[in-house]
Amino acid sequence: MAIFKRFPSVAQIAALSGVLVFVLSSWTLLWFFWKYPSWLYFLQIGEILTVLAYALATNFFESLVVLAALLALAVILPKKWFAETFAAHGLALALPVLGYMIFIAYQFQAKADYPSAALNWAPVVLAGAVLLAFLVGRIPFLRRAVELFADRATIFLYFFLPISLLSVLVVVFRMFQ
Amino acid sequence: MTNLNRRDFLKLAGLASGSLALSALAPQALALGAQPQASKPNLIILLFDAMSAKNLSLYGYHRETTPNLQRFAERAIVYHAHDSAGNFTTPGTASLFTGTYPWTHRALNMGGLVARNMLDRNLFSLLAEDYTRLAFSQNIWVNYFLNQFTPQLDKILSPGAFSTVSQVVGSAFKDPAAYRAYDDFLFHDGNPPASLLFGLAGRLLFRRQYFSETSTLGAYPNGLPRAGIYPIYFELNKVFDGVFETLASLGAANRPYLGYFHLWSPHAPYRPTQEFMNIFDDNWKPEKKPEHRLGMRVAQSQLNTRRRNYDKYIANVDAEFGRLIDRLEAQGLLENSYVIVTSDHGEMQERGDDGHVTPLLFAPVTQVPLLISAPGQRTRVDITSPTNSVDVLPTLLQLTGHPVPDWCEGALLPGLGGTADPERSTYTVEAKSNPAFAPLNMASVALRKGPHKLIYYTGYEDQAAFELYNLEADPEELSDLYPTETELASRLKDELLTQLAAVNQPYQR
Repeated sequence: MAIFKRFPSVAQIAALSGVLVFVLSSWTLLWFFWKYPSWLYFLQIGEILTVLAYALATNFFESLVVLAALLALAVILPKKWFAETFAAHGLALALPVLGYMIFIAYQFQAKADYPSAALNWAPVVLAGAVLLAFLVGRIPFLRRAVELFADRATIFLYFFLPISLLSVLVVVFRMFQ
Repeated sequence: MTNLNRRDFLKLAGLASGSLALSALAPQALALGAQPQASKPNLIILLFDAMSAKNLSLYGYHRETTPNLQRFAERAIVYHAHDSAGNFTTPGTASLFTGTYPWTHRALNMGGLVARNMLDRNLFSLLAEDYTRLAFSQNIWVNYFLNQFTPQLDKILSPGAFSTVSQVVGSAFKDPAAYRAYDDFLFHDGNPPASLLFGLAGRLLFRRQYFSETSTLGAYPNGLPRAGIYPIYFELNKVFDGVFETLASLGAANRPYLGYFHLWSPHAPYRPTQEFMNIFDDNWKPEKKPEHRLGMRVAQSQLNTRRRNYDKYIANVDAEFGRLIDRLEAQGLLENSYVIVTSDHGEMQERGDDGHVTPLLFAPVTQVPLLISAPGQRTRVDITSPTNSVDVLPTLLQLTGHPVPDWCEGALLPGLGGTADPERSTYTVEAKSNPAFAPLNMASVALRKGPHKLIYYTGYEDQAAFELYNLEADPEELSDLYPTETELASRLKDELLTQLAAVNQPYQR
């Protein structure tokens, strides 16, 4: 299949996935541990772990969605622009967007009905992400730094991937039991 | 179907002028209720969240908040001293379902669950044999333990049913844990969503939908009523229409049913329609009560404003209730149904305290309405002896010909098989900050016995504290008798502490 030839290498995909899983799951785990003490008051450990299974399964699918979007870009764009440097370019695009999403999420803590003002910055953030991706391609030092970070983040996959798959199994089992 | 007909009820009303007469009538009421399965009555429970009996004109409140409840009362047994066993939704509703006090069912905390060994000890399981059981709650906390009872329920409607716009993720899953995972955590609307991608996207889309679909709704000047922090926005008339249609469809089936409807209103935020916005702009100021040391220290002027808005919202809910009852009557659904109107807890705007998230256990937050209309009932019966929400389960079991289990802590309601016992002790328990499976060391407990009410606060201050009131002589609970009525105080204190020690015993390590 010609389309698979346009795919980045497995190592590049794994490196980027590690970062995505790390960011998305860490965010969820942060709030999980914020809620955990109150749950301990009335939930049993098994029930709390079930909630965690739902959370990690959701994170897993979130990571897949973001990864799929970046893979689609890799397929669409010329191979030299994106696929060959998938980890570096993907990370340069994904990190500012995820950071911006965290910023938007915090707007809701301030009980904003709808964070219109913050959302108005979306085109600027996107443009910034594209610029960063461009610079990553142009500045070797920056590219190496980003790739190094992505490479190190691969370790999170060894931890999160099995747990996420187990969580998906738990959720599926509970849905059909 | 054999119903409680007009003649029976006239007889009942005539004899029920005093509690002794009521006790004499008990066997008759029982006999009427305990019918063979083929003709068992339906049970319709309408629970209005946070409806304080103290703010209802039905019970003598200054403002005319409930003309329709008063109209309904003309065909019902009206309980004038009915307390909830809890002072907020979780314990109050769990006590109603299980007929046990919070120290037994252990649904103590906000959003808590009933003890896992009680999953088959509830109204739904006890009626399983011969009743179709449907539950609807706009309050997601109630759904948490309704979902614990899933095997005993034929249908649980989504909390977002009948809403104008809503986003309830858990109802899409068969697994009860999904509510906790999604609606209480990943998609929770009170904090940043714990799911960064799906949760945030869901919330942004929901907010956009809310603004686009509600911008043209001018009937609610303060905004659409909302089910607390959860993304469920509704119009009162649509919710009541939904309740009616659900009951009509249940009535079409050839099987007795239990329909439990837990309606969010008149719980805050108080958002009446335009029609009710100005009805109580009367400059009336309720009696100012001294601030309680455990209160929130809210200014009296603010409390008065909140009370006025609460009253308006109650009047709005009452109007919709009247419309519902008229439709049920026109449909003939009242002829073969017991209709139970009650609440899970009250609401207070006094003593510097606003709402019901409080350790306080004064009447506005504990005393709730209870009206029970028997099939075909046409006369009013008033019961003034103290009753408690734990009494509802055994009474309904008795009325439907089921045995009352020995673990049940309630008693049969006077007028429906029970007798008024002046020596009976009932309790209201607040322990939201206490771990569910530990002794109650941070709690407020009110013991009600005859005209007296002893309140015990433990864990909130350096030392435990007691207050004692005589509710007959001092219904506003202004005069603390604890320092002066030492003998009575000592007796009630001993009883309360002994009871507390007994219920704490299984959790001592």
